[in-house]
Amino acid sequence: MKNEDLSEILKTSLKAEPNFRLPSDFSQKVTQSIARHEQWKTDLTDYFYLLATLLLLIILLAGSYYLADKEFLIRIVTFLKLYPVPVLFLIFTLNFILLTDRVLLRLLFNRWKINQ
Amino acid sequence: MNDTELISQILNGNMNAFAFLVNRYQKLVVHVAGRIIQRQDELEDVCQEVFLKVYQNLGNYRNECKLSTWIATIAYNAGINYLRKYKKWDEVNPDDSAALRNLTDYRVENYETTDLHRYIREQIELLPVHYRIVLTLYYLEEFSYQEIEQITGMPEGTVKSYLFRAKTLLKEKLKFVVDENSLKLVKEISNEK
Repeated sequence: MKNEDLSEILKTSLKAEPNFRLPSDFSQKVTQSIARHEQWKTDLTDYFYLLATLLLLIILLAGSYYLADKEFLIRIVTFLKLYPVPVLFLIFTLNFILLTDRVLLRLLFNRWKINQ
Repeated sequence: MNDTELISQILNGNMNAFAFLVNRYQKLVVHVAGRIIQRQDELEDVCQEVFLKVYQNLGNYRNECKLSTWIATIAYNAGINYLRKYKKWDEVNPDDSAALRNLTDYRVENYETTDLHRYIREQIELLPVHYRIVLTLYYLEEFSYQEIEQITGMPEGTVKSYLFRAKTLLKEKLKFVVDENSLKLVKEISNEK
């Protein structure tokens, strides 16, 4: 008798919800977080596509100059060899500006909007 | 809206449908993850991680099992990974002796009869993690043995054994605090409800 009653009480308690809670706007928060995550992924992909396109254009330009004016191309290569540090710095700066414009600023703006 | 329609809406980029899915399954995720990690302050992050994984892997979901089973599996793995990450290895491995030690530690004289259900809930939280999760999935979420096997990866026999041992432990704990009179009182209160 006692054992059966204990089982009954136990069963009722086991079916009771635990005291863990989530905020009432949880689904909204999750959706926004996923939307931000997807946006970040899209922005980063766009940036890499743009970078690849620019590199391709540079290669095509260099190829056409190789066919049309080989001397000019050699002068450019010599210039690059003479000043590697400023050239690399310029490439790095331009790349950083592109990354900031396409990805970082949007990310910062999104975070700022959330904090607001 | 049934789960299949909901999934196709989400895969077509409808974020409102995803919010609907979150609302529908957030209790399940909270119960599963909460019973594993037992930390209210970390729970929201873990649940967010679960739904992020649900969103990212929804395209790979095949109707081989119910959506609730699939989501519960993700929640279970996220909870166990959380325990592993924070090196609570003893928590991941069930140990009857630890639970029995708690049994004597938590012995309370003249426990308020009306608080008996709360007392059991407290005792559930002191059980080893695999016992807690099996109890939650079976009694609270009403999954079958096969579904629990799918979710946790434990063989059906182990699931049944954990369920039996967990219930026995809880019953033993109950016997310490309950007497004939208080039992009658609790029954009366339960019937009134």
